Amino acid sequence: MKWLWDRRLRADPAPSSGRAEGERPQQPGRRGLMLGLASGALSVGMPGSSQATPAGELAPGDDGTQDFQPFHGSHQAGVITPQPAAALIVSFDVLAADRADLERLFRTLTDRIAFLMKGGDAPTRDRKFPPPDSGVLGPIVFPDNLTVTVAVGASLFDDRYGLAKVRPSQLVAMEAFPNDELEASLRHGDLALQFCSNTAETNIHALRDILKHTPDLLAPRWKIDGFLPPHTIKKLGKETVRNLLGFKDGTANLDASDEELMDEIVWVRPGSGEPEWTHGGSYQVIRVIRMFVERWDRTALAEQQTIIGREKASGAPLTLANERDEPDYPADPKGERIPLTAHIRLANPRKRETQANRILRRGYNYSRGLSSAGQLDMGLLFMCFQSDLSAGFLTVQARLNNEPLEEYIKPVGGGYFFVLPGVPSGESFLGEGLLRAVG
Amino acid sequence: MSKARIAARSLSRLGKIAALCLPSVIITSQVLGQANAAPVAPGAILITLTDAGCQPGSVSAPEGKTTFQIKNESKRAVEWEILKGVMVVDERENILPGFAQTLTTTLDAGDYQMTCGLLSNPKGILTVAATDAAVAKPSAMELVGPLAEYKLYVKGEVGSLVELTRKLTDAVKADKLADAQLAYAPAHLRYERIEPIAELFNDLDGSMDSREDDFDKKADDPKFLGFHRIEKGIFADKSTAGLAPIADKLMADALDLQKRIDDLAIPPKELVGGAADLIEEVASKKITGEEDRYSRTDLWDFQANLDGARKIVALLDPLIKKQDPTLDARLHENFVKVDALLGKYKAGNGGFESYEKLTDKDRTALKAPITVLAEDLSTLKGTLGVE
Repeated sequence: MKWLWDRRLRADPAPSSGRAEGERPQQPGRRGLMLGLASGALSVGMPGSSQATPAGELAPGDDGTQDFQPFHGSHQAGVITPQPAAALIVSFDVLAADRADLERLFRTLTDRIAFLMKGGDAPTRDRKFPPPDSGVLGPIVFPDNLTVTVAVGASLFDDRYGLAKVRPSQLVAMEAFPNDELEASLRHGDLALQFCSNTAETNIHALRDILKHTPDLLAPRWKIDGFLPPHTIKKLGKETVRNLLGFKDGTANLDASDEELMDEIVWVRPGSGEPEWTHGGSYQVIRVIRMFVERWDRTALAEQQTIIGREKASGAPLTLANERDEPDYPADPKGERIPLTAHIRLANPRKRETQANRILRRGYNYSRGLSSAGQLDMGLLFMCFQSDLSAGFLTVQARLNNEPLEEYIKPVGGGYFFVLPGVPSGESFLGEGLLRAVG
Repeated sequence: MSKARIAARSLSRLGKIAALCLPSVIITSQVLGQANAAPVAPGAILITLTDAGCQPGSVSAPEGKTTFQIKNESKRAVEWEILKGVMVVDERENILPGFAQTLTTTLDAGDYQMTCGLLSNPKGILTVAATDAAVAKPSAMELVGPLAEYKLYVKGEVGSLVELTRKLTDAVKADKLADAQLAYAPAHLRYERIEPIAELFNDLDGSMDSREDDFDKKADDPKFLGFHRIEKGIFADKSTAGLAPIADKLMADALDLQKRIDDLAIPPKELVGGAADLIEEVASKKITGEEDRYSRTDLWDFQANLDGARKIVALLDPLIKKQDPTLDARLHENFVKVDALLGKYKAGNGGFESYEKLTDKDRTALKAPITVLAEDLSTLKGTLGVE
């Protein structure tokens, strides 16, 4: 992966915080271990961890299926929303015949996503007809923490819908970087949907619902599933997720609960020189980064750690004691402690002038089949958000080009998209600002 | 498809056998003469047969699927029938004294009679009411015309299939490679037009229209026969060597198919459901160009599936229009859209350009009308009340 994801999973006073403990009352040893971790987290100043619900106080049956994220708001959900365990990315060709059809698409997406994120009775029809709902979640659709985030690609701004003059200024088709081999069947798209929820089935249900409602408007172009370990998610930021190279990934990610920081780094704002309709939106980078895991597993631990710049077991930067210890790069100008080409050092040099290059990462692991050579096809579904693509991802990627890690990774797909601003109320719809901007 | 259908048939047969066996099984486990303890099925209409007749003697049901539970409290084994005039609509035979059986059947709105034990007993009255104020579903009678016309169409197509397959196989056996190549697509498309009917004959479908992916050893598998095996020989290998026995088998299969179709009474659901089957073929296979991978004549078959679906829609058009004019209009609109896109690739010989000429843009554009057709045609059976 080009850089290690991921946002530190924040402590969060959601009911799920106590669930992991509550589910295992028969395992006091494990609970004790987890409480130990919680106090460890407190010692590094994790906010909110003191609100963890004691074991046994949760209502039985609280299995997370009723967790939900609000649909309405000035920003879409799914960007700074804490990451649930399952993700599904689908990129589409938009089939809408004209701009009126495009509006129908955006209105349909708005209606379906608002319903799916809230839940309710699955639509039914006389049994002689195919059922309008796939039934994957049963007769009552539950929210299961679902977010569906709609983003548009550069190709939507071609000559079909007359949107060229309001294209976000930095939205272009992803060009291949030196180590990239972007497959035609896994790149770009007019529109991307990012589904995130507690379970893969909920994402699939949502996708099938949307496809059922948009037969003449959307054709899937490529798709990929992602996952994170549910046990780590349940620890709510006390632990960093490991990627499929076995390294902790996301230790230094931004705190998505810091609104001011998100306004600065993630959301497009007035004064940015971007078209007015984009305010409240964000540039989304999606990269499918295959990892050559067999080869990685045949690489000496010392070399793995040199390439990444962290201890594999603890996640601590090399020569430091703890995962969250700050490396002192000015005191190590020759890279004797952490090599100059180490992934973490290139990705985040921790200089004042590189503060503007920060991005909010939202990565997932992925695993597909096998390569044609019979090797495992798995890696990182890298995603990040930023208000300025050039200052954000493009700058960081430029620093990472030719890093030693490239021998073990190969970006094979992805694209740049622009996350539409949110829908503040029931009268509005996704993309309304974009369409109104062209009359 | 055909395999599933056969499985479904044998399952329902098993179900019948099980239903017939049920009373005797119960006899062994219960005191003879005691009433069957089977609970009344939820929503079922309960009818008790006594020595004097049906109790109640008159029942009503909504149109559609209804379950009857028939309990025999008379002294002899009886059969229970639903009659429409002299026609037996459905029946349960050999209900032993003291036992009950259920019958689930689909009834159109109208007046029916029930037999009630002894022939001398008065017949019961069964009234089936239309469920809503919407236009009544077309009756089975209204499908008789379209079914007869469709049978003629299928016979016409299979006649052409025989004729054109002969042309193909003769050319193959005479080692006339160019003639064989020209004869391939026109012959195969006849099969594609009537695919839902042809696929009813699982064995023939396997030997006539399999693809190399269906076999362990792919194209080298000796079981790989039929159109696509010949297609591979004459387009990919560019040789007729070794194809003569395969040509003979294909010709024999085509004649066999013709004969079997002659004898076939096409069930309504094959007619009405066939349009959706054909479009699903297009959506899942033709659009990807995997059907005719050696000859690249996929667009011929694309058109053929479409023609087959359109023929069915045309035959049912008055009925669809009566039930759902919006659906009818949208079906036509989307057929026209597909025609316009496919029309760009028509070639002079009545056929089409190579699949490779199909641009990504047009392939993507085709997905809109094809997917809408697939969605709409999937509602056709429901719209016309055919199960």
